Amino acid sequence: MSINQGLTKSVIPADRWRLLEAEASWIGGLVLFFATVYVTVKMDMPWVAFGIAALCLYILPILSTRSPLRALPWEMTLLLAAPLFLHISEGSRTLTENLSWWRDVTSIAFAFSLTTIGFLLTVELHMYTPVRMNRPFAVFFVVMFTLAVSGFWQVGQWIDQVLYGADLLPSNTVAMKNLLWTLVIGLLMGFVYDLYMRAMPQRRMERLGFIHLWEVYGRTRKG
Amino acid sequence: MGGVRTDQERLTLSSRLMQAGMLAVVLGALVTGNHTWLPAAVISLLVTEIPAILKRNLKLVLPVELNFFIVLALFLHVIGGVYGFYDYISWWDHLTHAMSSSLVAALGFVIVVSIDWYVDSIYLPRPFVAFFVIMFTMSVGVLWELMEWLLDELTGSFLQYSLEDSMLDMLFDAFAGFVVAIATTHYVGKRTTREQFVKSFQMGQAKDKIKRIIVNRKKRKGNSS
Repeated sequence: MSINQGLTKSVIPADRWRLLEAEASWIGGLVLFFATVYVTVKMDMPWVAFGIAALCLYILPILSTRSPLRALPWEMTLLLAAPLFLHISEGSRTLTENLSWWRDVTSIAFAFSLTTIGFLLTVELHMYTPVRMNRPFAVFFVVMFTLAVSGFWQVGQWIDQVLYGADLLPSNTVAMKNLLWTLVIGLLMGFVYDLYMRAMPQRRMERLGFIHLWEVYGRTRKG
Repeated sequence: MGGVRTDQERLTLSSRLMQAGMLAVVLGALVTGNHTWLPAAVISLLVTEIPAILKRNLKLVLPVELNFFIVLALFLHVIGGVYGFYDYISWWDHLTHAMSSSLVAALGFVIVVSIDWYVDSIYLPRPFVAFFVIMFTMSVGVLWELMEWLLDELTGSFLQYSLEDSMLDMLFDAFAGFVVAIATTHYVGKRTTREQFVKSFQMGQAKDKIKRIIVNRKKRKGNSS
């Protein structure tokens, strides 16, 4: 704690919340990183792809602004890391076997992280590419992205199962329930992210430094 | 005279022939009293008439190729049902699925390109449009599978046979999405071609027409109250 205070005083005297938030975000990011390393070692390919995609979205703003304080909002990092963490944790596997509703919990966590990836994708497309969206289109894109990636995910898991005999999708009902959860959570979070952007205090938005880019100001270069 | 036809005329003619075929299915069903595929055939016929209605009432023109595509997908579905291809030919289901999802992909392309063109605050470059088409097709495929599953659960119908069936359906959706995304970005991807493409729908005129209808309605309401 004393180190924190020292840093806060010397580097950014005005704002220790900024440092705390960045730290919380980095913890989530590290969980994500080590979980990705773990699934890479185990050659669990769909999850490797997921982990790398999430890590890229996490690290890009930090790298491009060259500031470790420009980490994603910590709540988003948590949502990103949760399903991967649940996937590799032995406790979660036991719970899936013993509790009938635990599988729903994991698929809900997965749906939350997918919408978060979709949202971050819209933000970072605005940051690094000429793509410009307005809010209704961005919400639509987030919902559509969530559904589509979940579809690809089910198919990928099924192919994995057919080729290597992994027991990922025991029945059609499991696959369809996964999709249903992504539809529900995707629709919900599409609009929640819209509200989230409206509700986020101006100071926090400035502190994060990039998240406001979801909004389009003025006309595009189309003229 | 007459001997040489352009591609467009040929496509229109074959669309008409397939519509005639579906009409024959409807009539045949009425005559023989075998009504299993009557609703599907009637709905398909009505759907194939939608472009004509749009053109008449809103002056919205669909390209002949797209119209041909719509008719072909529905025709294969109806014919496959009537002649039992769905039961006898193992890949018929996948064929019609790939057809209809590439149609969805094409519609997704039309939608996204029109949005890009007509909404000022939106700018979507070429790779993004391709990405959007793939995602759009897959998400519609997912919605479709979900609808089938929910219908099965709620009404006890038998639309989804197995995990393999629904997963293969989605695999073909993805495949069709990729093919159409590559084809459309290759042929219509450039900004200038895209402009011609969007303008060929005459959506501007359709917009004017819709605006006029709304204004007229408001006027009428104002008069009556």
